[in-house]
Amino acid sequence: MLFSSIPFLYYFLPAVVLCYFLVPRALKNTVLLLFSLVFYAWGEPKYVFLMIATIALFYGCGLAIGKAQKQSWKKFWLIVSVVVGLGFLGIFKYADFFVTSFNAATGLSVPLLRLALPVGISFYTFQSLSYTIDVYRGDVPVQRNPISFGAYVTLFPQLIAGPIVRYIDVARELDSRTHSWDEIAQGLRRFIIGLAKKVLIADQFALVMKMFRETDAPSVLFYWIYATAFMLNIYFDFSGYSDMAIGLGRVFGFHFIENFNYPYTSKSVTEFWRRWHMSLGSWFRDYVYIPMGGNRVKKSRWVLNILTVWMLTGMWHGAAWNFIVWGLMFAVLLLLEKWVPALQKLPTILRRGYVLLAVCISFVLFNAEDFAQAGGDLMGMFGFAGVPLVTQQTLYYLGSFAILFVLGFVGCTPVVKNLGNRVYKTKVGAILEPIVLIALLLLCTAFLVDGSFSPFLYFRF
Amino acid sequence: MNKKIRAIGAGILVVLWVVLTGFMWFGPRQDVSASERRPLDQMPDITLESILGGSFMGEFEDFTLDQFPLRDAFRTLKSLYTYGVMQQKDNNGIYIVDGYAAKLDAKLNETSINYALKIFNNIYQQNLEGTNVSLYMAVVPDKGYYLAEQNGYPAMDYEALFTKMEEGMSWATPIDLTGALDVTDYYYTDTHWRQEKILDAAAVLCEAMGVTPPKAENYTPTLMDKPFYGVYYGQAALPMDAEELYIMKSRVLDACKVYNHETKRYQRIYDMQKLFGSDPYDVFLSGAQALLTIENPKATSDKELIVFRDSFGSSMTPLLVENYKKVTVVDLRYISSALLSQYIQFTNQDVLFMYSTLILNSSGAMK
Repeated sequence: MLFSSIPFLYYFLPAVVLCYFLVPRALKNTVLLLFSLVFYAWGEPKYVFLMIATIALFYGCGLAIGKAQKQSWKKFWLIVSVVVGLGFLGIFKYADFFVTSFNAATGLSVPLLRLALPVGISFYTFQSLSYTIDVYRGDVPVQRNPISFGAYVTLFPQLIAGPIVRYIDVARELDSRTHSWDEIAQGLRRFIIGLAKKVLIADQFALVMKMFRETDAPSVLFYWIYATAFMLNIYFDFSGYSDMAIGLGRVFGFHFIENFNYPYTSKSVTEFWRRWHMSLGSWFRDYVYIPMGGNRVKKSRWVLNILTVWMLTGMWHGAAWNFIVWGLMFAVLLLLEKWVPALQKLPTILRRGYVLLAVCISFVLFNAEDFAQAGGDLMGMFGFAGVPLVTQQTLYYLGSFAILFVLGFVGCTPVVKNLGNRVYKTKVGAILEPIVLIALLLLCTAFLVDGSFSPFLYFRF
Repeated sequence: MNKKIRAIGAGILVVLWVVLTGFMWFGPRQDVSASERRPLDQMPDITLESILGGSFMGEFEDFTLDQFPLRDAFRTLKSLYTYGVMQQKDNNGIYIVDGYAAKLDAKLNETSINYALKIFNNIYQQNLEGTNVSLYMAVVPDKGYYLAEQNGYPAMDYEALFTKMEEGMSWATPIDLTGALDVTDYYYTDTHWRQEKILDAAAVLCEAMGVTPPKAENYTPTLMDKPFYGVYYGQAALPMDAEELYIMKSRVLDACKVYNHETKRYQRIYDMQKLFGSDPYDVFLSGAQALLTIENPKATSDKELIVFRDSFGSSMTPLLVENYKKVTVVDLRYISSALLSQYIQFTNQDVLFMYSTLILNSSGAMK
């Protein structure tokens, strides 16, 4: 189920909020678990069983790790959870990719599994892994209540598109959390802002991209408009979803970690990845990069660590070579930034420009269906596709979506937030806030009522 | 103080949310959207099969979208925001210039045009080649021909379309209608041309076919007592004024009888019952009909005309009737071209293929 859909906004959410606040404290996690399973089943009825199996696996392994006296048995149960958990992910997400690559390399015809990708499997697998790893490390106590653990894995606000909430971050709130009108109001505010980012901005950039793909009059400028539109689309789509998740979390008494911090204002690619999908970056850092030795190893091993982490980051986003190349591209840029300190001494505007260009090119690769399309798009952007610099159609769409682009550019910076914070503290701000939020909710509803299906980009991961 | 104001504001937001939810859950259901001219989705049946198969979820979402309280008002809000605040030049592909709503249709669909040509050529080879019929073809420009390029909107390559049609139907004499029309000949809110404004275009057709053009003095524009909202009214979802719908009455047309081969009944040129249906434009020759034969007892000759047409032909054909004793009107979207020989004997008639650019560029429904 999409957050940005009428069934969610006007059926599911009111129902879950009503039930959640009506039941006694002891049953709140049960309500969350049941509604979360319904939420998941709405899009993937058959994969609810996979979800339940995942819960059972990690819950059981967590108990076993906690119960084991010997370190070797703790390690054994950790390995079981990692292998089986990643096994699910491998079978459902990567099996056909490996088979296709194997067939291409060997000329054989091993049949494909052709399994549909369970929505959000990468997110909930990584969240569950964080639990058993942290229990093994002794960082968190074992969760003995299966309802609470099930509620953690399935928690619908962040179930299918993050942020990747680690068990350690919500362990206390799972068993004991408080609710207040102020928190609910703050949560709804954050949710509506995220909804507006998704519906009023991200989906409109998706429309620009659709126009580009459908045009029979492409131009160099149109290729750049497309690339820029996708940069803005994916940012507002994903950060909007994260805002909604964080906001809903607050409504139910949870405090999830932030996932974005104005990544397009970064002055280096290293900084970009500290600001973009922060929950994924920190997960790979803490559960892959540092256990591999991080940077406290030989230079060659450190390079290998970097390449491995970024190849895995690419693969996490999708089972295709363009995602792997996308990840490795960032590995190369990160290494370059480490090896060429002079880059950090360039004027700020050049550093920001370099980051935006690198990210823009990377996202063209990211969003392409295959290498051929990525190559075609990049050739078009740099004038090697044999298309004119500009066409009447390009100018039309540029003019038609000019305000959207301006909104997008401004919205990527802290300008709006800073302005909002300044007004927020005043009486005018207190009066304006609900008016703006109501207007945004009504506008989003109007777009949804008028519009068509528009899934979140990160659902496919 | 600010905290209190905020709490009250949040309370108002929640109340609004609850009210909309309440209407969504318990409000009355609508059967039809008059502005969009379509039935609205209803609550789907809940079955184990539909839930496990996932079809229920999709149908339920469609139902919620169609039955949302104040749906038309919300759609209008979206349009106003898109045009007024975001300054987008179109909404859902509909743009408005000087009050005329038109659809962005810049892409020349070669596949569709080739498909239409294939059907026309099959008809020619199977029914018309070697006969003594006189063959004509006319492409009706849609509103975009007069609006798009001149106002900076992406425009279809109309000249390429005209040329392609003329070359693909080299066995027919082409008739150029573009010079006989301008944008004021079309409805503001609809795709179609206004019957009371196309006498010039009818004259061009008649002259090309060697018959007497219709004279304005023989017709009485008659205003229908029904406000007309065209198809773009619903799609644009903007507050646009209702239009006046005129039909051109004449003594000749009053005397004509129209035989509908589908219903096997006689009807009139103007079907007044259709004024109260979903599309009042269907008043002309009862709208979408597979095969009609117009019998004209006051014809000035024994000539016959066969018109292969789309909905533009519904309002144009009555203006061509005067010179012909019998006019056969064929809509290839509702009758297969392979069946024509069962109903029509092609001999010594004028045969006019008259199709709009809209249909030629989206000809998938032709058979």
